[in-house]
Amino acid sequence: MTNIVLPRRQLLAATALTALAAPAIVRAQSKEPIRLGTAMPLTGSQAGYGADFVTGMRMAAKDVTEAGGIAGRPVEILALDTQADPQLGINAVNRFIGVEKLPMYFVAWSPVVKAVAPISNREKVLAINTGANAPEIAHLGDYVYTAFPLADVDISKLATYSVKTLGKKRAAVLYINNDTGIDAAKIYREFFTAAGGQIVAFEAYDPKATEFTGMLLKTRAANPDMVHIHGLLTDVPQVIAQMRQLGMTQRVSTYSVAYNPKILEQLGAAAEGLIVTSLAPGVAENPRLTPFIERWKKEAGRAPNGLPYIQYQYDMVLMAKAMYEYLDKKGIAATGESLREALLAVKTFELPMTGQMVVDGHRVDKPVYLLTVEKGQFVPLATLS
Amino acid sequence: MYDPIILAQIFWTGLASASPHVLMTVGFALTLKVTGLWNFAQAGFMAVAFYTMYMALNWLGLPIAVAVLLAIGTTVAASLATEAYGLQVLRERQSGNLTFFIFTLILSEFLIYVITLIFGTEPQTLFKSILSPVQIIGGVAVSDWDMLGVGLMIGGMFALWLFMTFTRDGQFLTAVADNAKLAELYGISARRSYRVTAVIASLFIVASMYLIGSHGGIVPNTPLELVLSAVLGTLLGGIGRVFAAGAASIFLALIQSFSILFLASRWQNLLLYGFLFVAILLFPRGVRLPKFRFALLAGR
Repeated sequence: MTNIVLPRRQLLAATALTALAAPAIVRAQSKEPIRLGTAMPLTGSQAGYGADFVTGMRMAAKDVTEAGGIAGRPVEILALDTQADPQLGINAVNRFIGVEKLPMYFVAWSPVVKAVAPISNREKVLAINTGANAPEIAHLGDYVYTAFPLADVDISKLATYSVKTLGKKRAAVLYINNDTGIDAAKIYREFFTAAGGQIVAFEAYDPKATEFTGMLLKTRAANPDMVHIHGLLTDVPQVIAQMRQLGMTQRVSTYSVAYNPKILEQLGAAAEGLIVTSLAPGVAENPRLTPFIERWKKEAGRAPNGLPYIQYQYDMVLMAKAMYEYLDKKGIAATGESLREALLAVKTFELPMTGQMVVDGHRVDKPVYLLTVEKGQFVPLATLS
Repeated sequence: MYDPIILAQIFWTGLASASPHVLMTVGFALTLKVTGLWNFAQAGFMAVAFYTMYMALNWLGLPIAVAVLLAIGTTVAASLATEAYGLQVLRERQSGNLTFFIFTLILSEFLIYVITLIFGTEPQTLFKSILSPVQIIGGVAVSDWDMLGVGLMIGGMFALWLFMTFTRDGQFLTAVADNAKLAELYGISARRSYRVTAVIASLFIVASMYLIGSHGGIVPNTPLELVLSAVLGTLLGGIGRVFAAGAASIFLALIQSFSILFLASRWQNLLLYGFLFVAILLFPRGVRLPKFRFALLAGR
């Protein structure tokens, strides 16, 4: 074995060159990570979505870190379980703020976002909604923002489209009696009526209900030509199934929650004609999406649950990157207040999965992609800008 | 809305949707009658029953009959093991009622936690499709699921009545329920009666979970919510009155279904719980109907 001895000057030069030539990841990983908190349902009935949301964010964190990180720092995702339950959401956010000392965090599910908002406002920690769509979220306070379009974006456009393009005149609105359904149902009613249609039935159902026959018979008696259902993944298929079994053949619309392959399996032919919304571009509009889906299938062994939502989760890490780098350039430490200023100053974010996002006060506007079920597949129906 | 066909449809669907709850309630009330226990471990056994069928059908691709037999096997095994190695031990220690209650609740949570680790928390159905073929009979939509539910409900209750009335083991259950110590003096084994009860309750649980799991999505926590309806039926029917508890479950389901005629859907549960509140307050031992006309329902 031969010992190689380098003169000190050569050694220094070699070290400097190695440092310059090393991949950005090496430098990023050697620094203190930037931790992004996300409060999602990781267990419980909504975990099918929540766990995939976190996976989407972790994929983005890995990509960003490998590309040099945020201002040269690696990114870590700290995920806490909410079970989509407001009380557990409060526990999670208290831990983000009190224990983990995070200046910002992501959160979804309308009841949870509403529950944690007062804490964020009081502690001046930035909360960003990444998937809830209750319109009230726009009025939750100075430290609660949304990166996800609220129901007044897609539901208003869907209601108008149903009257003006599909020619529907009499709609029934069936909705889950919680924060997810109540406001969205009102928006559908408002815009459907404004477009010249008539709401002939407006019925709420209990979040734990499994039997909808009475409500559906009442709806059938009102003779609608369109039925809009605003619920969750656990109840929407059951409502549609029981509707079809009672001989109701009306076209059904719902929102992005039903843009899920599981619905097609559960309903089979009964899903034909179903209209769903998507707030993120599909494979036809975004070439980055196909490789992303392939990668997901390779890593998770299945298709993602609620792809459009996951596109948003992925983009949240890129949005955080832009905000942190804005502060880094100005030499300002990241706090809830400074990150809020960064969000408003950057304002326009170019995001790889969902396209351009412009923060307009406490709202964002995006194109709405309508899809319908044809021969057991979701196919594009229209893009409403 | 007051069209006879609509009323008939509400009645029929209310009856069919009550069927899994009736089966579950009868199993729960029988256990309470014979053992004197509010056995919340039944929620855990319900989860065992459903996920055994789910695994057999969706992971192993076995036929339905085999899946149901496997579920009966695992549920009976879990139930008997709990009886032999849990409840019997507590009885021998002469533990208080609170200990039994906490034991069954914790066992249930434990089983559900293990099931969550294995199967995850996504809503699952026994079959990929939740649609059931429908035929229109006299203007009323009747699905195959409805027929199966009502058939199992009537068949299950009738079989239990036959068993309790005409077999020695069935009569022993009543004797042990009335006074276990006195029954033992007459040579009746209370321990055997407890085990027979566990087996019967398991059969009702499997039937109930088959119906629920083929109609909509279930998560591991669902049985804990479902067992509440068994408690409500048992309270309303009157403790120790097995068939009356089943009838109370039907009554509650029909009240809820027909309330749509004069209430918005979102008030249905409020009405149900309001009704229960009043019923329990005014009839703490259950609503007792005249015995001479309803001797069969009272199960005495």
